[in-house]
Amino acid sequence: MLALVARRLMTAVPTLLAIILASFFLMRLAPGGPFDGERPLPPETQAALQTAYGLDKPLWEQAWIYVSRLVQGDFGPSLVYRDFTVSELVAQGLPISLTLGGLAIILALLIGISAGLFAAVRAGKAADKTIMMIATVATALPTFVTGPALALFFGLWLGLLPVSGTGEGWSWLIMPVVALALPVSGAIAKLTRAGLATVLKQDHIRTARARGLPETKILFKHGLRPALVPVASYLGPAAAGLLTGAVVVETVFGLPGLGRYFVQGALNRDYPLVLGVVTLYAALIILFNLFADLIYGWLDPRMREG
Amino acid sequence: MKALFKRDHWPLWVVLSVMALALILPAVLPWTYDQIDWDAVRAPAFSGSHIFGTDEIGRDRLARLAAGTQVTLMVAIAAALVSLVVGIAWGATAGWVGGKVDEAMMRFVDALYALPFMFIVILLMVIFGRSILLVFVGIGLVEWLTMARVVRGQVMALKQRPFILAAEAAGSPPLTIILKHILPNIAGVALAYLMLTVPQVVMVESFLSFLGLGVQEPLTSLGILVKEGADDMDMTPLGLLLPGGLLVLLLVCLTIEGERLRDIYS
Amino acid sequence: MSVYEIRNMAIQIDGKRLVEGVDITVEAGKCTAIIGTSGSGKSLSCLTPFGLTPGEAQGSIILDGIDLIHADAHQMQDARSRLTGFVFQQPLTALTPHLTIGAQLQEAAAQVGPPRLSRHELAQKLERVGLSRADERLDQFPHRLSGGERQRVMIAAAIAHEPKLLIADEPTSALDASLRGEIMALLDELRLEKGLAMLLVSHDLASVEGHADHLIVMDQGRVVECGSTANLITNPQEEYTKRLIAATARLDEPAPQLQAVGDILLEIEAVTVTFPRPGWRRGKIKAVTDISLYVREGEALAIVGGSGSGKSTLGKAIAGIGPLTSGTISWQGQSLPERRARTISMRALIQPVFQDPVASLDPQWKVRDIVAEPVKNLQSEILRKDRDAMVLKALEDVELGEDYLDRMPASLSGGQAQRVAIARAIIASPKLLVLDEATSALDPLVGSSILQLLRKLQQAKKLSIIFITHDIASARRLCHRIVVLDEGAVVETGDMDLVIRNPQAVTTQKLIAAS
Repeated sequence: MLALVARRLMTAVPTLLAIILASFFLMRLAPGGPFDGERPLPPETQAALQTAYGLDKPLWEQAWIYVSRLVQGDFGPSLVYRDFTVSELVAQGLPISLTLGGLAIILALLIGISAGLFAAVRAGKAADKTIMMIATVATALPTFVTGPALALFFGLWLGLLPVSGTGEGWSWLIMPVVALALPVSGAIAKLTRAGLATVLKQDHIRTARARGLPETKILFKHGLRPALVPVASYLGPAAAGLLTGAVVVETVFGLPGLGRYFVQGALNRDYPLVLGVVTLYAALIILFNLFADLIYGWLDPRMREG
Repeated sequence: MKALFKRDHWPLWVVLSVMALALILPAVLPWTYDQIDWDAVRAPAFSGSHIFGTDEIGRDRLARLAAGTQVTLMVAIAAALVSLVVGIAWGATAGWVGGKVDEAMMRFVDALYALPFMFIVILLMVIFGRSILLVFVGIGLVEWLTMARVVRGQVMALKQRPFILAAEAAGSPPLTIILKHILPNIAGVALAYLMLTVPQVVMVESFLSFLGLGVQEPLTSLGILVKEGADDMDMTPLGLLLPGGLLVLLLVCLTIEGERLRDIYS
Repeated sequence: MSVYEIRNMAIQIDGKRLVEGVDITVEAGKCTAIIGTSGSGKSLSCLTPFGLTPGEAQGSIILDGIDLIHADAHQMQDARSRLTGFVFQQPLTALTPHLTIGAQLQEAAAQVGPPRLSRHELAQKLERVGLSRADERLDQFPHRLSGGERQRVMIAAAIAHEPKLLIADEPTSALDASLRGEIMALLDELRLEKGLAMLLVSHDLASVEGHADHLIVMDQGRVVECGSTANLITNPQEEYTKRLIAATARLDEPAPQLQAVGDILLEIEAVTVTFPRPGWRRGKIKAVTDISLYVREGEALAIVGGSGSGKSTLGKAIAGIGPLTSGTISWQGQSLPERRARTISMRALIQPVFQDPVASLDPQWKVRDIVAEPVKNLQSEILRKDRDAMVLKALEDVELGEDYLDRMPASLSGGQAQRVAIARAIIASPKLLVLDEATSALDPLVGSSILQLLRKLQQAKKLSIIFITHDIASARRLCHRIVVLDEGAVVETGDMDLVIRNPQAVTTQKLIAAS
């Protein structure tokens, strides 16, 4: 088990480095720079700014400086939000994005697994078909449609929940988290249902049944864990999906999370900011995949040997 | 082919009908999608010649919906085809050659899978400018990963099947084996995943357009319409609900159809 | 005294009656075996009374005084748990993957209620079924054990709560041939020791006849014949039973008359096949090590071994459809290179036939095109219209008619599909057939008819045959000589009858014991 974690970490570091370097060079290859404003700046000011931010050095050197600072937790200054370093912006945005994503995945797991379980127990009955239909529709609900639609119904029409910003208390979290969790919970429900349908047909379930165990015990002790293996392998992609979804949700609901900075940075060619966010996203996804691997090993001991 | 006319395939027919409407409507409607009716800004539904009313600057909503659907589906089909070609080529090569080559090729796919891909696509959009060509090339290049994995798995499994070995013993050259035995037997699965790729692409394209990073004005797409609708939803909710509803309808139908095909073929 | 008695049982699934008029009696300390092909209703008859299939049973079913037909949920649970133990066919999948051996054994023992067994008691139960290092195994997960070991765990779990009736559904057929004898012996031993009543289900008459006191032959959901084992085997009354007994190859039957053989055609010398380890790990796995053998014209050579013995890898190397790492394969002195380097004329000499008949035929192709495939490539000078005639002739050789030409593989039975595969193998007049377990996936009656067909073809065309199998008894019906493989190397070789009469290697002895 430990060996597996170590091996995963060994591949994670080069992957991360590759992502950082690739996006670094891509950004620099792009035409246009951060100081191309509406009115062109005088050449002397341009040059001064370039020197100040180290943009006149050779690319390789810039990359090296960037990576070595990154290791010390310094993402460099933001080129557009002049008064902030990227680290400060990230420190502001990350907690919000993590709260959104974390709550969404917990909600999606709760709803998805219990719906899938319920449907599998009622296999072939009307309840099963209804739940699976709802799950299929839920999977196809893009956050950029559900987000505004929820805001329209519960915010503007019913006036129950705040439409924008973080505000007081926790109520501002409800709609963004629901919009994020919906498609993921649909997918998890379908995977759980399909996993259980496969597992409940397997021989070891018949063995358990032949031992005279009650059906609920068969389901929870012998059936559920192997049935959740597909759910575990979906967690990695789900995390990536949630992070991208968070970009939309933060934009729609006006939340100052990581995603908003990313979009702003991308539109303004704020290299350090975009790079910082991409690096963080990549690290988060890699970390989450590692976590999913651990769950995988717990669900199925055959995976522990890696 | 006949099987497609069965009742089970209603989602496919819904999508095809929407597609047909999107192609026909612009020709028969009195307004084009970018034409401004100065006399009817934010007109309600069924006012005059505007069946679904007009948006906040007086453009006919139905005409915009038809144009947006056209672009969205066009991008989706083109990008899905790109992913089909790249995915089959990559997956079939890895599966057929096997060994270390396969190992390396699939590791590459795994590594790409782990990337925050949407962000890389956004990076590309920002860097190389926002053109519709780049939108679908970018998306197609992301979506081929699943296809490659599926095709590779199928080829690996088929390669071990005795009928492939028998064909080799019967003196069929490798190219004949691939064309006559392997490809026909993976066609069904590839078709199913192609079908599943289309809603994925629709989702990605609309997502990018929603953020203003995908299809650009004056062209329009369902994602842009949803964005415009969301910005103006306190005044005219129809502007959000129409494109949003249509987008969800298309996504649901494409997903159901794709999953049905996948269940048949695998 | 009968522990378990079934009278006039009928079983239906979704209103379809699949089993009818079945009587089964199992006595304490005795073994009753049900024999039948797939679809005969044998497993259904065994498992349905305990609610382990979707079927519904009618009739009279009495287990130790409990009427299972009219049992309430509590009595049914009692019947499943306290009174009965089950051993299933697939040891690989019959144990829950995420629970340790110890936990599963504890659960099995707890069927009769507390007290929980101590660790020492659990270990003893594993030792009783012949598992070494029992204490260590308690903490292991099932995937760390081999197939044979897992089946022993299954048996230990089945009898952990001291049931009165043991139901064993094909307990050895998924196991390696060399292990089958041991597992059957273990079951016999436990039955006698504990006075268990045992109901055994099998498709293979040969594997149970030495162990069962009583036989029930089933076909198409009905009992064909039943009686004491000795009586039924020596004096069968029904036509079906007679055919089944005739189809079952036995080592004590008279040796067959085999045709005379000619000069050496195929000679292989020091053949070794290695595979790279999966993943990026270094090193190689040796599948076949340093094997030499020869085949004469008109001769049938049996290559016999358990799974993992390398017999299929060797067969593929010979047929030019698998890798060859080193060594030489030569045909009348001319060298046959590794797979990709074989020329058309070399390919025409040797043709393979495989175990799984359905997987041997491209599901998208018609029988006509499947059979014609070798002619198109190997004898490309032949015109299309002559090709059609050849296909018809080949189908005729395997006793299939013209009406099969446009059939798709999915519409063929196992036996028919295997005949089509054989037609494809012989159409281009090869000199040698490599048959890889060509009869072992088929029902015994079908398998033996395929074997007869092969003998007929061998004589009519003076074909040489390499017959790869785990089943010595059926190989003896066709083959002159035998080569026994174990772990990729030859452990014994010689004239068929000499080897059977006086086996030297342990592997050979085990394989003979399993036949």
